[in-house]
Amino acid sequence: MGLLQVATNTVTSATASVSITGINSDDVYMVTGVGIGVETNIREINMRITKSGTAQSDSEYDFAYKRIISNAVNANLGATNNSFIRWDSDLGTGTSEFTNFIIYLYNFNSSSEFSYGTLEEVDVNHSENAMGAQGGFVHTVASASDGLNFQGESSSNILSGTFTLYKVI
Amino acid sequence: MSNLRLINETLVTSAVSTVSVTDVFSADFDIYKVTCENFSNSTGAQNIDLKFINSSGSVITSSEYDWGYLRLNDYGSFTEARNTNDTNWENFWGKDDSASGETQNVVAYFFNPYSSSSYTFGLVQSSNALNSQLQAIKGIGVLTETSSVTGFQIVFNSNASNNGKIRTYGLRVDT
Repeated sequence: MGLLQVATNTVTSATASVSITGINSDDVYMVTGVGIGVETNIREINMRITKSGTAQSDSEYDFAYKRIISNAVNANLGATNNSFIRWDSDLGTGTSEFTNFIIYLYNFNSSSEFSYGTLEEVDVNHSENAMGAQGGFVHTVASASDGLNFQGESSSNILSGTFTLYKVI
Repeated sequence: MSNLRLINETLVTSAVSTVSVTDVFSADFDIYKVTCENFSNSTGAQNIDLKFINSSGSVITSSEYDWGYLRLNDYGSFTEARNTNDTNWENFWGKDDSASGETQNVVAYFFNPYSSSSYTFGLVQSSNALNSQLQAIKGIGVLTETSSVTGFQIVFNSNASNNGKIRTYGLRVDT
């Protein structure tokens, strides 16, 4: 397996949202996030897909995850017809209260298929607990998508981190 | 040129109780992918744990390892385990065994290990055959100290492992 970088975006100051785009072929793509932090305590990172660079805020997101937790019983998390994708990270503003993830994207370039993804994530939440999510999502609209958009919950700014989009070759 | 850069390949060809992969994390990358193939031993089923190695070359043994996993079993209910303030990421690499064809295989990612201002984060998925059963692990771990980590140590819990290949890659970001 090889990776060809398509785009990258490093956040160095408070930013309302980050879009990472450039999907223009039928290949599988991968998005990585490292050191993603939020400005406000107890906020999640919410994700949407983009079409022609615009985040889609329709209620067409289905997702399901297993939340893996270092200090409590694991939990299931899922929703249908939601207006965004979440993985319940509840980040804080303390030391290393970041989310980090590997996301694979499938069928994004297709105009006749839904846009699918798998996600593996690990974070430290606002209570200083190690947590993670492993699961998948779909945007149930059969039209071409070109990337992902990330936004802090309840309009919290994203304060740090690097987002990178790769084509899997 | 691929942005997935092979940094190190370590082969296990004789019985060892630990394998240290040193000087693989650096300022060149923030995210690393590690694959392990075909760990096996000559004695029986055992857990395989993970510890990190700091920039002084010392294994980090402090009680700063938090971890959790879901284990998917082909023989019954799924199970889970977790701990905080542990001295390793227990079972992070799954298990290996001695029967013919029963090996342990892993893909893991590490985030920001080299940074001296961030914790070290990890993700893992493994597929292990032992006792004529399959166990697959999906797990997470965080080393909750900000020391600069430059390598890792694989710890075979009870029996020496005598076979396996470990590859460490960096995910290059071109700015």
